[in-house]
Amino acid sequence: MREALRRISAIASKEFIHIRRDPRIMIAVLVMPTIQLLLFAYAISFDVSDVPTVLLDGDRTTASREYLAAYEQSDFFNVVGHVESQKAIDDAFDRSSARIAVMVRPGFGEALARGEKASVAVLVDGSEPNSAQLGQAYATALNQALGRELTFEYLERQAIDPTRAGGITPFIRTWYNPERRSADFLVPGLMVVVIMIVTVQQTAVTLVKEKEQGTFEQIIVSPIRRGELMLGKVSPWVLLGVIDMLVVTLVAIFLFGVPLRGDVLTLGVGTFLFVLCSLGIGLLVSARASSVEVANLVALLISFLPGFMLSGFAFPLHSIPRFLQVVSYAFPGRYMVTITRTVFLKGGSFSILWPEIGALALYAVVSLTLASVLYSRRPD
Amino acid sequence: MESAIQLKALTKRFGSFTAVDAVDLDVRRGEIFGFLGPNGSGKTTTIRMLCGVIAPTSGQATVLGHDAIKDPEAVRRRIGYMSQKFSLFEDLTVDENLRFYAGVYDLTDEKFAARREYILRMADLVGREGELTANLSVGWKQRLALGCATIHEPELIFLDEPTSGVDPTARRHFWELLYELADSGVTLFVTTHYMDEAAHCSRLAFIYNGRLAACGTPGEIRALMTETVLEVDVDDAEAALLALERVSEIREAYMSGAVLHVNVGASSPASVVELLAAAGVTVRGIEVVDPTIEDVFVHLVTQQRAAGETLAATAPEAVAVPNPPVSGSPDA
Repeated sequence: MREALRRISAIASKEFIHIRRDPRIMIAVLVMPTIQLLLFAYAISFDVSDVPTVLLDGDRTTASREYLAAYEQSDFFNVVGHVESQKAIDDAFDRSSARIAVMVRPGFGEALARGEKASVAVLVDGSEPNSAQLGQAYATALNQALGRELTFEYLERQAIDPTRAGGITPFIRTWYNPERRSADFLVPGLMVVVIMIVTVQQTAVTLVKEKEQGTFEQIIVSPIRRGELMLGKVSPWVLLGVIDMLVVTLVAIFLFGVPLRGDVLTLGVGTFLFVLCSLGIGLLVSARASSVEVANLVALLISFLPGFMLSGFAFPLHSIPRFLQVVSYAFPGRYMVTITRTVFLKGGSFSILWPEIGALALYAVVSLTLASVLYSRRPD
Repeated sequence: MESAIQLKALTKRFGSFTAVDAVDLDVRRGEIFGFLGPNGSGKTTTIRMLCGVIAPTSGQATVLGHDAIKDPEAVRRRIGYMSQKFSLFEDLTVDENLRFYAGVYDLTDEKFAARREYILRMADLVGREGELTANLSVGWKQRLALGCATIHEPELIFLDEPTSGVDPTARRHFWELLYELADSGVTLFVTTHYMDEAAHCSRLAFIYNGRLAACGTPGEIRALMTETVLEVDVDDAEAALLALERVSEIREAYMSGAVLHVNVGASSPASVVELLAAAGVTVRGIEVVDPTIEDVFVHLVTQQRAAGETLAATAPEAVAVPNPPVSGSPDA
């Protein structure tokens, strides 16, 4: 046992020297995640405002003017022009000078005056689905609000008590991220993806590199067991992975102003387990890959795509196809994204996050065991 | 005295290919045992089995009294291993490399201090402890690799082509170190394809296509050759070889360094001279020489290959064309 520890620490300290001597590794580990985080966070923004909008007033009554004025006052819509015909709307859409068009049909004012349902048309350019979807939602909300007001006026004019007319209006409030800042939503998820890419990649390469430089054949004829070799090679990366997470967390808090509302210890434990999982995946790749190039490529594929698609980072997991939902359980990203978001935004702690922490712990044990079994059986 | 290595019908098959075929071998303690053969003949596979890295298909291997198959860990503690790749970490300093291997073999601090000093002196690296290994030239790297492989004072060292790609001066220096180790009682198991190095060994085994073709002291090996060998110095070696190959009585003819070696077989020295003259080759010198180890091995390869060809229909792997043994050093 003592001998085994001595051997593991010999490998670990050698590994630290490799890391210290190779500036590329330091850059890859400490600078790259920060840069990636900055790039992704600024490039992928789900904030929508100032959607270019054109208005067509086919009614030209006081009612229609009041209705359209509401769009001009909204921050969400940026009214770029008033047009006279439907043709002009088509042109604006074709030139992409507008993404939303609001048309008030003739007879709008009269219908309201008669207490009937008045209709307007909201046209949305669907080629940019994100703005389109939000645009539609906003327009609907606006209509409902205006509609209610107009209904009230009508009822009062008819001397009916408006409160008795009832009418249920949805009251929407966004929790945890009241301003709907996409940085708050994105950065905690992004941290996970970025850390996963770096750690999987570095560990995927580590064992293969030893083989390529010929030192592996020296090591396997020494008393070192393969499991010890793996542990020794991985242990510096556990530390580096956790440091990495710390750096990215500080960037998230101080640069992006993401609030850290929850339990830091839960986040720490989650991070540690998640780093182990990533290392397990990296070692699995390393145990099988035939060259450094192959290891790099496989590591990128296995960490990047599932990281983005199957972690819930960019797309809510309940909205992806059922098959992929099942697949997503095979990647540790989904558990960790839940942990970071819950701790950062919802102020979560171990009491709610224990299922995810447990899943990560299980995942780490399984992936590391599998990697060491595969690695030991590898016919070298 | 107990054997250092004892092999009984050791066999390794990869699919239908037999890499090592029923090899019997007995290496005595304290000897420099040369394990020779062309590339791909099974030398490295044999060493890997002896170190317990791969399991044999059948047969027995006893190394330093341990069963190498059942108890590889006991074997690994007591052996050293050095390959032509030198297996040093280039981005570590001389000292860090030594320290790493000291940790691997669990040396005490006092032991390490003593071994470190000895190795630095042996490898001529005193004062360069802090230098990155990448900056050392090949000869130094080779000696440092030997130092790392022997840091735990193994009783048996496997050296797999340790001098490959090293200049002649460094090779000589390296062999002096090997002699020193042997003098101190260490058993050395050396593979090489440099035939001049074979003469340095106390005993030799020659492996070809996975089979043991010959085994004995260099003298015994030379005595296997009963035919006359000529050393011929010609102006056009290529034309001379072509001419000689056409005559079936002549057993083999090949380049040994800068001259031709010809096993005249059933022919005679006089007819060789006539033959070369007829082919328009000028003979600058010709003499009968004592067969070298290389002559014997070329002879053995030719015999085996001829036997292999007759068996070709039943044993397809036997016709694999071997690389002939390399003579002398490539830089000579």
